[in-house]
Amino acid sequence: MSRIADDLEQRAAEKEDALADWLRARGRVAIGFSGGVDSAYLAVAARRALGADNVLAIIGRSASYPAEQWATARRVADSFGVTVLELDTDEMNDPRYAANPANRCYFCKTELWEKLVPAAAERGFETVVDGTNADDVGGYRPGMQAADEHAVASPLAEVGFTKEEIRARSRALGLPTWQQPASPCLSSRLPYGTSVTPERLRLIERAERAVRELGVTGDMRVRYHDDVARVELAPDELTTWLEAERAETLRAAVVSAGFPRVALDLRGFRSGSLNVLHGVTTA
Amino acid sequence: MSIFTSMGQAESRRRADQLAAALAGMGVPCKVEPRAALAVLMVESGVAQRLADGELRRAALALAREQGFTHLAVELAPPGGADAAVSRP
Repeated sequence: MSRIADDLEQRAAEKEDALADWLRARGRVAIGFSGGVDSAYLAVAARRALGADNVLAIIGRSASYPAEQWATARRVADSFGVTVLELDTDEMNDPRYAANPANRCYFCKTELWEKLVPAAAERGFETVVDGTNADDVGGYRPGMQAADEHAVASPLAEVGFTKEEIRARSRALGLPTWQQPASPCLSSRLPYGTSVTPERLRLIERAERAVRELGVTGDMRVRYHDDVARVELAPDELTTWLEAERAETLRAAVVSAGFPRVALDLRGFRSGSLNVLHGVTTA
Repeated sequence: MSIFTSMGQAESRRRADQLAAALAGMGVPCKVEPRAALAVLMVESGVAQRLADGELRRAALALAREQGFTHLAVELAPPGGADAAVSRP
């Protein structure tokens, strides 16, 4: 192993020790659990530090939560002996959320924590945590305000865990999520001001599944622009997918999911792409 | 704030046409459909494949930025349907 990899492993292991100390100081924790890279690692780390009876992973299910991610969440929990509670959340019925303003995530997370925090308390879990990591702090993330308002802690961020370090420890612990691409909720594919509906979210989910079935494993999004699906692929995959035969395969897959027109983004995937489109953040 | 949030349709169209002309000058003939700060290129059969060249792609992105577009995408036209795509308004 290279010295750089060694350094990463050591740094990540030290932070895992700090995380375990943080968790033991609280005794019992409930985790907002999506099955993404961060919350999956946090759930497993908490299970190891506190034992099965003192950890509760809570999934908030809604139309904006991809079915495949739910399956991953359940698989991780089952494999590592993490107790799960599933709750239905209903952000779609909040017109402030459905209108899809730039701070949409605030309304979604408010709905999530308003249901999750009391459910945790009823079961004897006074401390509620989420998977926010150190890289997330400072970006445009209105959902974090909702977490603050509900006293939800972010231990990964508090001990300085970066995404790279979380992936390193996830790999060491055998989590299937260690190289999973980041997977924000499906509503993030809709430009601000385009209303969020269950039908649009299902369309996006079908299109992304169709692209994955072509063998695309890296970062990828299908962004919704009314009749046009704008596909963002990892920049190093663009050359391949612009070749005539591949491009037609890609187009046909997305059309089969229900989009009339398909366009391939020429810069490729970028996190928060629609924030840039609307001038919320810069490129 | 994106410049397109306060821009009228005529100005948006003018920038799209300027981008189309610049792209044609570098060997990518196309029509440009402006959608706020997104420019969608509608090209004839075979033209999208030219953008597989990374250098050409980067140059196209730079031209789009000059016209205020933060995003540039090329429409993948169906076989035999490319001309129809280009003739869209």
